[in-house]
Amino acid sequence: MATNPKQVVTLTVNGEAHEVLIEGRRTLADVLRENVGLTGTKLGCEHGVCGACTVLLDGSAVRSCLIFAVQAEGAEIATVEGLAEDGKLDHVQQAFTDNHGLQCGFCTAGMLMSVHALLAENPDPTEDEIRVGLNGNLCRCTGYQNIVKSTAAAAAAGKAARSSAQAS
Amino acid sequence: MSETIIESHLAIRKDKWIGKPTKRVEDPRYLTGTARYVADLELPRMLHAVYVRSPHPHARILSVDTSVLPGLGKSVWVFTGQDLRDVPPLIDHVALDNLLRTPQNVIAIDKVRFVGDAVAVVVAGDRYAAEDAAEQLSAAVEYEVLPPVPSVEAANAPGAALLFDDLGTNEIYRQTEKHGDTEKAFAAADRVFTTRFHHNRYGAAPMETRGVLANYERSEQQLTVWSSTQMPHFLRSVIAGQLGLPEHRVRVIAPEVGGGFGQKMCTSPEEIAIPFIALQLGRPVKWIEDRHEHLLAATQAKEEFINLEVAVSNEGKLLGVRGEFIGDGGGYSFNTESALIEPALAAKSFPGPYRIEAFDEEVAASLTNKSPVAAYRGVGWTAANTVREIMIDEIARELGIDPVEIRRRNMLRSDELPYRSVTGQLYDSGSYLESLELAMKTVDYDAFRTMQERLREQGRYLGLGISSYVEQTAWGSDSSAQAGTPLPSHDNSTVTVDPSGTVTVAVSTSCHGQGHETSYAQIAADGLGVDMADVKVVFGDTLTSPYGLGTYASRSAVIGGATVARASADVREQILKVAANMLEANPDDLVIEDGTISVAGTPSVSKTLAEVAYAAYWDSEVRSDEPMLTSTRFYDPPATYANGCVVVLAEVDADTGVVTLDRIVAIEDCGTVINPMIVEAQVQGAIVQGIGGALFEQFVYGDDGQPLTTTYMDYLIPTSTDVPPIEVLSLESPSPFSIGGIKGMGEGGQIAAPAAVANAVADALAPFGARVRKLPLAPDYVLRLMGKIGSPNG
Ligand code: FES
Ligand code: FES
Repeated sequence: MATNPKQVVTLTVNGEAHEVLIEGRRTLADVLRENVGLTGTKLGCEHGVCGACTVLLDGSAVRSCLIFAVQAEGAEIATVEGLAEDGKLDHVQQAFTDNHGLQCGFCTAGMLMSVHALLAENPDPTEDEIRVGLNGNLCRCTGYQNIVKSTAAAAAAGKAARSSAQAS
Repeated sequence: MSETIIESHLAIRKDKWIGKPTKRVEDPRYLTGTARYVADLELPRMLHAVYVRSPHPHARILSVDTSVLPGLGKSVWVFTGQDLRDVPPLIDHVALDNLLRTPQNVIAIDKVRFVGDAVAVVVAGDRYAAEDAAEQLSAAVEYEVLPPVPSVEAANAPGAALLFDDLGTNEIYRQTEKHGDTEKAFAAADRVFTTRFHHNRYGAAPMETRGVLANYERSEQQLTVWSSTQMPHFLRSVIAGQLGLPEHRVRVIAPEVGGGFGQKMCTSPEEIAIPFIALQLGRPVKWIEDRHEHLLAATQAKEEFINLEVAVSNEGKLLGVRGEFIGDGGGYSFNTESALIEPALAAKSFPGPYRIEAFDEEVAASLTNKSPVAAYRGVGWTAANTVREIMIDEIARELGIDPVEIRRRNMLRSDELPYRSVTGQLYDSGSYLESLELAMKTVDYDAFRTMQERLREQGRYLGLGISSYVEQTAWGSDSSAQAGTPLPSHDNSTVTVDPSGTVTVAVSTSCHGQGHETSYAQIAADGLGVDMADVKVVFGDTLTSPYGLGTYASRSAVIGGATVARASADVREQILKVAANMLEANPDDLVIEDGTISVAGTPSVSKTLAEVAYAAYWDSEVRSDEPMLTSTRFYDPPATYANGCVVVLAEVDADTGVVTLDRIVAIEDCGTVINPMIVEAQVQGAIVQGIGGALFEQFVYGDDGQPLTTTYMDYLIPTSTDVPPIEVLSLESPSPFSIGGIKGMGEGGQIAAPAAVANAVADALAPFGARVRKLPLAPDYVLRLMGKIGSPNG
């Protein structure tokens, strides 16, 4: 087969720089998973509907199956692997396990990243706002009940953390 | 609820853990992105496989010109059906004489029978290169296009093209069976109601598609297959048989599985073809299905036609039913349970929680040029429940009886159980009426009716839909026979305490989201008297787990749970024996609590489990004849039946036909509950899948046999904004038949929800005389039901 030209791209993922040699047509999702070796980001549709591949690009949620890795050069990319610190779950992850917000776990990485983006924009969402904020992430297992509950709990935990930070 | 006394030989130890909403021990790896699904696995020198699939619903393959591919045999490899002609075709396992068989080659040889049927597999060093080559090869396949058979009606029309010429027909099964005296019932009837119902074709669509990675170590003659499967051991047996390998040289691993819902229980042709190719090439080969391919080629579910005649008295008593259940099987009568999986199971489960004493069933299945139909949560039972509950509401409306009242008049009472239904299903125990009453109380039924009436005057259409159900669980030999598709089976667990006193539980069921690592650890912890943190549950690898059928049909809690309880009880006895030697006491006087063994009433005379386990392995003075602290136990339970009731409150927008769900209340009774948090979430998830089937989901095929729903933009699964809050309440009628009184659960929500939604819509649209005759209730159909466009069921 004819081989396509490759180029060197530097991606900053969870604060760490990765240099990869890739074809221009490779999606960010594939490069994160196969070239960088971070397989926590999942592919559920590869056509931009399911949200399983959601990562943060400079803080905004994007579907990594819909953009090329070369487009992410220079941006801060955040994936599920960067959430926990020293093995300690962050407040969103903690809320999801406390409230049984996952079953098979396949949608979970994308869901957690979307929750982070949602709460960054709206730290104190109503239940309706949570539902609207997450309706681009499909989950086939939970029926969303506990995902909504987990997100509300994460928002409350974030709020508590902020006010104790202010008080101290 | 009936007071059920569990007989002592069925009792299990229930102490600190069983019944508690314990947080899941498996969560951290999913939350941190370290859980590995098959797509995440990589092996040295791994190749990537991509399928070339038929663009035609029905065609003969004339030629596949592989010479168009540069680098063939060096950097690109192709396998066609001809290359796999020595692999025997897949055939269903149902033991019925007059069911015609439709052998399916794992890659089509002469003919393709649906859009998406496998024509060739292209293998290359990376997925992108394999996709390029597959695209090139697709253009180099020559077909002779045959007339398509897009529906059951077309399949049985005179002169229809035949999917399998040698069968001489597309209808592969038709059989009638009489239960009770329907002649008498119909003669005694005041009224006879009829319906012709089309249950839609929808499917599991797990978030993780299918995927297989296979590796053959030639020097070891060892094949290892990682597959996103629900049944690793069964798959090992099938692979060994199909590829002619000794079974001990085949190892199947189900890594993390991103949902299955029944779809990943039968053998996919890809699960045979990919290992075959890995064997040929001597290199690891991975195939990961993409979503488009999944919506084309993975099995679909639930499509059937149900025609009913129901004999009733003026008081609304159901006297007798005649039912015809016709399955649309798709291109092949699929392996495992055949095309009867829908119609046969629907027929047998039709009576549900009601006393129906006369029932004639006619079950049929036809082949069509569509993707094959196989299992999806609530097989057959969903369609049966949907049509029955819709019919009951219609009868009530016609007779001027309240829908709750008509159910009360026909429902089996808990003190009438055990009860054998007219179709031979032995309901062990339950709370049919109690579930209904609790649901109605929870939604405040009378208040709803008042509000409904008031809002109707303002032109708003609110409706309430009830759906009561019985869910057959504990799918072993007895359960499958009672369902009408006999499949003998059993499952096993091994519980082992190691020399340090920690516990490993190896089970043959195979988890894909149900939280088995938590539930089984709860059972073992109680059984042994240890902390849950000291228990590790392993499964999904045929090398490390005992043989069994895996996880499907709501069987794991009741079967797997019982095997863990039984093996734990044995090991507990072994521990007590050694401890008795150490403490110079009688084993009967000893207790284990929180990992400490002591003389009952004298806690100071004690040993820790770690001390006892150490001595059991290393101290020849006190060890037993068989020093290892381990036991393997099996279980093949009698059938059990969970039950419940789902009530949906909905509003129909009279201008747009859009249905909005406002509230759902679900009552679930699955006997003894191991982890209520997991049970609640299973109910919620299942209900939302049922909502998908009721409102959005359908695999649509054109008259030309072309699939029209091949992306997630066309095949719509529910999102977070489509579903209302779902309240789940529990009743607990332990089974008098099964170990621990556990029944199993997980499908009831899917079984019940479509009818609850349909009944809510019909109730809302009662002023228009709406009669639901098909699903989904998409806006255009709702407008038809209201007479606003076209004809209602045209
Ligand atoms: S995989 Fe990217 S949106 Fe589905
Ligand atoms: S937890 Fe399985 S898809 Fe969301």
